[in-house]
This record gives sequence, structure tokens and C-alpha cells, in this order.
Amino acid sequence: MEAITSTEQLDSYVDNLKASYDAEKLSVLICFGTGCLANGARDVAEAFKQEFDKQGLKINVDIGFKTTGCHGYCENGPLVVLRPKDILYLKVRPKDVPEIVEKSIKSDEIIDRLVYKDVNTKEVISQYQEIPFYAHQKRITLRNIGHIDPTSIDDYLLCEGYKGLAKALSMDPDDVITEVEKSGLRGRGGGGFPAGRKWRSCKAVSSDVHYVMCNGDEGDPGAFMDRSIMEGDPHSVIEGMIIGGYAIGASQGYIYVRDEYPLAVKNLHSALDAARGKGFLGKGILGKNFDFDIKISRGGGAFVCGESSALMRSLEGKVGEPRAKYIRSVEKGLYDKPSVLNNVETWNNIPEIIRNGSGWYASFGTEGSKGTKVFSLVGKVNNTGLVEVPMGITIKELVENIGGGVLGGKKFKAVQTGGPSGGCIPDSKKDLPIDFDSLTGAGSMMGSGGIIVMDEETCMVDVAKYFISFLVEESCGKCAPCRDGLPRMRQILVDITEGRGKDGDIEALEELCDVLTHGALCGLGTSAANPVLSTIRYFRDEYEAHIRDKKCPAGVCKSLITYSIDPEKCTGCMLCAKKCPQQCITGEKKQAHVIDSEKCIKCGVCKDVCNFDAVRIK
Amino acid sequence: MEKIKLKIDGKEVEGVRDQCVLDVAREAGIDIPALCYHPDVKASGGSCRVCLVEAHQDGRMKLVTSCNYPVREGLEIKTDTELVRRIRKGVLELLLARVPDSKVVQDLALKYGIEEPRFFKDEGDNYRNKCIACGLCTAVCEDVVGVSAISMCERGYEKAPGTPYKKVSDVCIGCGACAYVCPTDAIEMIDDGDTRKIWGREFKMIKCSVCGKPYIPEAQVDWIVSTKGKDRAFFDKCPDHR
Repeated sequence: MEAITSTEQLDSYVDNLKASYDAEKLSVLICFGTGCLANGARDVAEAFKQEFDKQGLKINVDIGFKTTGCHGYCENGPLVVLRPKDILYLKVRPKDVPEIVEKSIKSDEIIDRLVYKDVNTKEVISQYQEIPFYAHQKRITLRNIGHIDPTSIDDYLLCEGYKGLAKALSMDPDDVITEVEKSGLRGRGGGGFPAGRKWRSCKAVSSDVHYVMCNGDEGDPGAFMDRSIMEGDPHSVIEGMIIGGYAIGASQGYIYVRDEYPLAVKNLHSALDAARGKGFLGKGILGKNFDFDIKISRGGGAFVCGESSALMRSLEGKVGEPRAKYIRSVEKGLYDKPSVLNNVETWNNIPEIIRNGSGWYASFGTEGSKGTKVFSLVGKVNNTGLVEVPMGITIKELVENIGGGVLGGKKFKAVQTGGPSGGCIPDSKKDLPIDFDSLTGAGSMMGSGGIIVMDEETCMVDVAKYFISFLVEESCGKCAPCRDGLPRMRQILVDITEGRGKDGDIEALEELCDVLTHGALCGLGTSAANPVLSTIRYFRDEYEAHIRDKKCPAGVCKSLITYSIDPEKCTGCMLCAKKCPQQCITGEKKQAHVIDSEKCIKCGVCKDVCNFDAVRIK
Repeated sequence: MEKIKLKIDGKEVEGVRDQCVLDVAREAGIDIPALCYHPDVKASGGSCRVCLVEAHQDGRMKLVTSCNYPVREGLEIKTDTELVRRIRKGVLELLLARVPDSKVVQDLALKYGIEEPRFFKDEGDNYRNKCIACGLCTAVCEDVVGVSAISMCERGYEKAPGTPYKKVSDVCIGCGACAYVCPTDAIEMIDDGDTRKIWGREFKMIKCSVCGKPYIPEAQVDWIVSTKGKDRAFFDKCPDHR
């Protein structure tokens, strides 16, 4: 591979690529994101290859064929896209492949069985972009993912890759920072600190060495935005970091990735090698007097290492514990040198901001939160997956238009945003725009972009207990409020959900939250109270029902509920009696059945199997 | 050294750049309670959260730990506001729940009106040994003594100082610096005749040639002689008789 040593060479190289690329050529794209791989995408790809062989179709001659990053619609994987018509086939199995080749490749037929059917309207949609899940998205961050082969730098270059870098290198480093400032880009890791301002203050610190770092230690339960970017479009992150390094005067970058993301690590490594081969990393990049390279560091699995100061300690090879940030890391960060740490998604946006200009980027989003944001939309919603929307979209739009509404037609109750340290936002606030400041104002936060949809059968005390338990396990133990406060909060929540709640518990929780919020050392601790505070704020009556009436209104907390069968609805089909693991359901055939509540372990199997909605929870 | 002027509780005081608020306050005779900080241990502080104070600068206020907050020109510190007392009280209640038998924590908590914590008390190892897991012992062992015989083990609620794998440490020199700096007297060190017991290991002590009192472990003398180049004969006499 020959290195590209000037902007002109880059342009002619890309022109040649484009000349030999046939956009109209029939191609098969198979999603090789982690979700689709787990669902058997590798077997599907193998089946395609065999079928092409059998049919005498030569890959890259008669037909295009590539494996891509995550399309975001993971629950419907493995996904297969047919170009150029952009037909999306869902849940494809190897046995479907011969039929796809026969009908949709060799001729022009669409297989209805494999395309999207809207759960609400029953409409059948075969075109990728017309499916509601995609139609309402605005993809900047995810611009290439799903279209390119992440292991091919040529694919990235065909999508205007490294053009942002070439443009940046023709600019004065200060002007690059000005562009980032003017774009209004705020840190996508959760804090929302203006990226340009961070870069400028780092650059202003005089030092022999500056560092740039990428935080890929995504750890929120249910969040996988950064993973998909690193897996599906690694060059975008690398290009962003090179631009950042040029702007602040760094010659070394680090990507800190959690070790649970093996595919991300693999694809990043191969992308770094390819970028070095093309001369985008190394000495004298694109013929300019600028040297830069990137190393990958794999995390050890601690949630707290996503916190900036803990991440830097971990990078240094020390125990990943936070330190007080009274002296900011832009002054004394990694190895006590001025450092810029940005999240994967933030870096990914940089090349496009430089290439298209700050004005273009700032045209998306709201006054205070520019651009788009990737969310992992999960929970009780019809379409789950990775979505990218302009900042300022309302919760309702996200859940209803893209998410397709609440699963099973149940009532929407709340969304939980911001990961374990975020909060719950209730139905009454579903017109709230999703941006940094609105979410914080509502007692939650943007966080890295996890959105969990909850329906009427979700107990909010149980939700708070879940997140606090997560944080108890992930507290590093360095400071007293977090280490000693969280287990006490959990105990109170356990008592409430198990029927031992007492007057004063809510106040005790609030006081513990106060100590954490004001007294804890790092961001993990100071935001750890959010799940409790936001659920008390919006669902206080639910706490009170648990404490005073010993009832769980959502029917979740086992100690507080009883199962019974509605004799009006029960047809005596005997299915529940057969399935009950305790064998505590009795009744004659075609007669109403009865549950022996003494023996019942409240596992819910009877409710799950009943076809007549006859099982009641009180 | 750059001199810095600031205010603590309304009083004009002076410190040097990057000195911590707690040191400046104590020099000025203003007491701020603190457990995990020791002025001679660079890496100490920031963990017990007892020394929280309000820091006012440029029209903004935040609650900070005075033991590691650097003084800056124009900074105003308030050590005894309603917010400070409220959060400090909360922290002390949690510490008392962790180490209900610690006299130091009991006394401090009582000053803030806490006799009994409302929350469950700890009954694990920490309950018995009064440790608040502040890490001052491991910091002194690493930064001042330079042997790193102990470090903080586990994480979260289980975090506690210890020797690697809780086995007898080969590198410990028995100096007892950890026990000396421990704010809650949680580290057991027993001197019995010419034997010292600490961290599960016994150390032979050298006797003072004048008073005959065993006063320093042989292993500690070996360490100082080999790393600092000090003359072994210096340790013939105890500090009182040198």
C-alpha cells in the first residue's frame, strides 16, 4: 500500500476509486454488527457465498458483496440490504438465502415474508429509508455505518473519508478549533461540555506534550452507541482524533475501549493499520509538518473507568479511581500533561464538521444543543435499536414515530435516560425536547444516550432499586458518600419493595441523595442519586403505596402482590394449571380455576400462558 | 513561591499557590475537621469527605474538600455554613454506620448531633477494625516509606487496605507508619518485648544501647541503611538518647 503524501494525491486516489465504483451495481450487504453476528449473520453470509458459487455468480464481478457495521435495527437481525434498490430483509436465515438469490437477485421480485411489516398499520414496506424506524432519523454520526465495510479504508474514502482531515491540515490549528467552537458541538459522553472550548483551554496550557484521548469505555446498561461506531465506522473516530491532535498540538492519541468490545478493538486495530499504511497516521501527515499516532488501551471492565480522571489513571496503568478535578485535565490530565478527552461520538462528528463547515452542523438541533444525537432506544417499545435524531426531538416523537409506540399497546409510563445515573421522565413530560439542558432540568440527563421506555407494568421503586444496585456494584469505594451511602439507599429500597417500608423512608432517601449529590468525589457519585430523586419527584404516590398500603401498583414487587384468576374470564382450559411450577392451580375442565396463594411463588407463568387475560395481579 | 491572598470565614489569610485550603486554614488557626488527610503524605485526602467547605469564586459556589482544593487569588472559603454542616453531618452518619465502634468517629459525629446512625450498621471486617477505608495508610506506605507493602484491595463497599492476597508480606518493614497515621486507630500494631506484630507478621526489634528499650524493627533499619545509605551504628541508640 502506498502512502498518500498530499491533498492532491488524496483527491486523485479517491477520484480513481470513484471511477471504478459502480453505484448501480447489484450488491448484497450483510450486517456484521455484534447483534446480527449473535443472531447468525456469519452463517447467512456463508450461505450467500455458497449460493453464488452454485449459481455461477462471481463476487465483485457479477455481484457486489460486503459485510458492514450495525444498522441499528438489531432486534430484527440478521439484516440483509440489497443495493441499489435498498431493499431491507429482516431476520434472514441461511435457508432463506437460495430464495433471495433466485427471486430478488436473479429477478426483481420482493419476498414479502422477509420485509418490514408495521405492527400498527400492518403496512408492508420493503425500502430501507421508508421504514418508520429509519424515515424519522437524521444520520450524521451514523452516516457510513451499515453502508461501508469497516475493514476497508477505501470504502471510507469513497464516503468522503479523510477529506475533513485534508481540509483541517490546510487550515491554521486555531481556526480548526474556532470551527469546532462555532459548530456548537457539545461532548457526547454525557457531560455536554462544549468540545471547542475544551480544546482551546487545553491548547492554551504550555507544555512539551499534549494528549488527545477517546473514551470508548461505554458501560451504561442497554447502551451501545459507541460500540456500533467503533465497530462499524472506526475511521471516523480516528480521523476526528487526528484533526483534534493537529488542532491542539498533540502528537499522541489514545483510544480507551472496554475489553468487552472485542469486535470494536479488532476493527479499530485494523483501521489504525490501514490509516498508517495510507500515511494518515505517522510522520509528516499529508506532507504537512505534523506527526501523530494512536494507541489502543483496553479497559479492565470497571464502570467507573468511563469517568475521565479514572480513565486517565487506568491508561497510566494505575488503579482506575477518580481524583478530584479541581485542576482540570486540560491542564493536568494524562501523565499530568494537558489532555483532551472526548467521547467516541464526539470524535466521530469532527470530520464532518470540518468538511461541511460549522454552519452546516449548527443548522441541526436546538439553540443550546447543536447537531444530532445517537440513542439506543430499548425497553417496552416496538422498534428497539440504535437511532440518530436531531437534538430537540420530543420524547413522544422518539417513542411513537421511531419506536413505533409501546409494545403490546400498553400505556406509556416513563422513559429512563442517561444510564444508571440518569433519571426517569414521566408520561406528563413526554413533550419535553431531548437536549442537554431540558433533560437536566427535568431531573435526568443526556448521559451517553441510553433511552429505556417503560410501560404501565413497570414499578418505579423497582427501577430505582435496579439502578442503585448497579451503582453499588460499580462504586470504586474511594469516597464515603458513594461507598457507604449507596448500599444504605439500596437497603431502604429493598425494604420498601419487600413490604418493610416505613414512614420517614422517603425522607431518609432524600437526605442520602443530598449527601451524595453534594458530597461525593466524582461524577458517578454526584449523579448517583438521580434514579431515586427523579422517581420520587414524579412517582411519589407509588413509593407511598408501597410504604403505607403495602401495595405495588404496577404489580411487580413480589412481596406485595397476589395472583388470582378472574372466574368471569377463565374458561377452564387448564393451561395455567399444567404450566404452574408449584402445581398450585386447581379446577375442573371448563370450570374457573383457583390459585392457592399460600403455595404461589408469583413467577407469573400463569399470566404469561393465559390466552383469556384471566390472571389478575393485585 | 507565589503568595496568594484569600478569605476564610471572613478572615484575610495568605497561602502559597497550590497549597491546599485546609493547610492554610489550620495555619490561620481555623479548624476544619478532617480524617483522611495528612500534610506530609502527598497522595492523601479527598476520600473521607469530612473536610468539605464552600468555595466561592467568580460568583460561583461549590462544595469542595479543603484537603486538596488549591488556593487561588480571590477565593473565599466558608467552613461552617448550613450546607456544609448538613452534608458533613450526612457523611459522618454514614461513617458512623460503617465503624460504629470508632471513638474518633463517634466523637466527631456527636459534635453534629448524631448519636446513632439511622442506617444499618456494618458487621463485616470493618466493624471490628474501625477502618473507614480512607487509604491514608496505603498512601504513607507508598509515598513516604516507599515499600508499598499494603494497598487498597477490592472495591466499593468491600474496599479495605491489606497486604497482597491477605498473605504475610515479605516487603513490609514493620515501621508502623500506617498505624501511626491511621485517623481511626484501626490498624493493630502490638509491641511485646522485643517483638512487634503488625499485618500478621512478627518483627524483631533492636534495643537502645543506652536505655535498653526495644525501639525499631531490624527490617526497618535494614531498609533505611540499604536505601538511604545511613550508617547502621546510628540506630544503636533510640531518638531519646542520640
